[in-house]
Amino acid sequence: MAEEKNIVQRAKEELKKRYTRNMAVASSNLCVHCGMCIDQCHYHKATRDPKVSPVAKAERIRRVMKNEHDWLRSILPWWVGARELTEEDLDRWVEAAFRDCSLCQRCIVNCPMGVDTPLVMATARGVLTAIGKAPQILVELADAAISREENIDMLKEFFLEQIKSMEEELQAKVDDPGARIPVNVKGAQILYVPLSGAHTIMPEAEIFYHAGTSWTMSMFEASNYGVFLQDQVRAKRITERIVKEAERLEVEEVVVTECGHAYTTSRWEAPKWFDRPWKFKVRSILEVMDEYVRLGRITLDPLRNDGRPVTYHDSCNLGRNGGLFEEPRRILHACIKDFREMTPNRRQSICCGGGGGLVALQDYEEVRLKAGEPKAAQIRATGAEAVVASCDNCRHQLGQLNEHYGLNVNVIGLSELVANAIVPRRVSSEAQQN
Amino acid sequence: MEDSVLTFVKFDLQIFALSWLGLAYLIKIYQILRLPQPREVAPQQGSQELGVFYSYSWLFIPWSMESTRHHLWRWFEFAVYHLGAGAAILATFTIPFAPSVMTRNVSLTMAVLVTGAFMMGVLKLWRRMVSPDLRLVSTPDDYFSLAGVEVFFLFTVMALVTGSPGWMKAYFITTAAFLIYVPFSKISHYVQWFFARAFFGLRFGRRGIITPRSA
Repeated sequence: MAEEKNIVQRAKEELKKRYTRNMAVASSNLCVHCGMCIDQCHYHKATRDPKVSPVAKAERIRRVMKNEHDWLRSILPWWVGARELTEEDLDRWVEAAFRDCSLCQRCIVNCPMGVDTPLVMATARGVLTAIGKAPQILVELADAAISREENIDMLKEFFLEQIKSMEEELQAKVDDPGARIPVNVKGAQILYVPLSGAHTIMPEAEIFYHAGTSWTMSMFEASNYGVFLQDQVRAKRITERIVKEAERLEVEEVVVTECGHAYTTSRWEAPKWFDRPWKFKVRSILEVMDEYVRLGRITLDPLRNDGRPVTYHDSCNLGRNGGLFEEPRRILHACIKDFREMTPNRRQSICCGGGGGLVALQDYEEVRLKAGEPKAAQIRATGAEAVVASCDNCRHQLGQLNEHYGLNVNVIGLSELVANAIVPRRVSSEAQQN
Repeated sequence: MEDSVLTFVKFDLQIFALSWLGLAYLIKIYQILRLPQPREVAPQQGSQELGVFYSYSWLFIPWSMESTRHHLWRWFEFAVYHLGAGAAILATFTIPFAPSVMTRNVSLTMAVLVTGAFMMGVLKLWRRMVSPDLRLVSTPDDYFSLAGVEVFFLFTVMALVTGSPGWMKAYFITTAAFLIYVPFSKISHYVQWFFARAFFGLRFGRRGIITPRSA
């Protein structure tokens, strides 16, 4: 009992710390329970379960907030739905915030009032993490990223060996023994931050090679599980590794690989956590590739990609939360012949169900795949044979949706398509001379 | 010659209730503004100012959101309801303070608007009672506020159409009761609405999500 009181008390204190101006508005009478958000949520679209509508999920948290702040809380709490927080509530918060919400932002974009339901859910995540109720795997992944920096000297040799082997692969691919995957190059223009795995290194290395980019690769991966936990201390430490590396190498810009949350975190959220302005700018690899195509730094031939119809999935973090809508589409038009839009798309795109760290949570796989049903239906309706996703979490989820719903599509990254379509520099210049 | 009760409810009671409402809102706004707010510091990609403008204007553009685009009737219902509410509130000022404006035609036009709002209110209340999604999240305040506003609309229409002292008294007493209750209820959503839409516009405008992106 004492322990329960303690955990509930700690949760209340954490809530209080997170009670910002924005949160006060989002958790107030602003939400009139009109229900316009209900069928905008992919969880509700897939299940029709009233308990997973955005308003119902937010209400679990909001009612506790009302118990602290609503003017009628002390005389008529039941009248406004205010309730005292219990440990059972916290367990239900875990389901609402970590299982039944991918923080996709579709509800706020479709709320006539502008209720920031994702903020309410994110706040719940932060509180749950602080009191030790967040999914353990997310905590472990965040801590692993932090310990990578602490053990970088030990890992460096192994990392460089891996890069060497990829470099040889690159040299064979571009037929140039001088091609490099540079690491630790001071004064490079770009610090490229990949994810773990060659799939976010090889295509980009090829693109940089053909564009003649001055670049160096980060020793750290872009993903930031601290953000999924809404744990600013962990999230900042994970970002700080890259900030320090960028400052040490004096690069002009940090370019984040095809990863939704990593881009939004580095581009939009993380600058708030630091008390100094950064000396470099942050861009997504999508913006860089788009620039290369527009400026003619790389030449793409759509015929180099097979002629299959292709559709594009707007990652919530890159699009609705990050503003990258047209860049991927311009690139796609340059590197494939048959592009088909999903409906709705861009700002109104439907989440694949894998965001918010959900792809890492095996316990919730069944719910996650069910929540991906509307996205699967969207893909099927396009008749596309390939789905491009510029976010690794989305790619993972779409791959699983492909199997689960028998979509028969190939899920690929945009840089892979671009790398396939690149006309090698030598051929390109010969063609120009002719 | 107007009776003293009607004069009291038309003027003194209204001024008291309005002062109460104003004070309550000032306190609410103060409570919001004294809270900390993390500032966006990342270089902006779109216009914050335009974002706020778009954010406010979306309410008047049903195709701006998929929720209103797919539920056009709900948007229409919202528009009629709030137009009528606006007319009913306006009448609480014009009847006592600008009686010359309240010609027969103006009164009847206002009554038509408020009748529309009343009908939409019935629909809202019915939906709240039958929809499992809405029932789950509804509080007693949700039902009371809707039902109470319906009574207010009804008295407004009767006062506007008949102009009789009895209906006028009922209208102004209901108005005052509501002005006193509003700060405690969901009806006060329109105060926070200005903040919420501004926050939305600032963030989504700055990021170039609802505004054109700069290079």
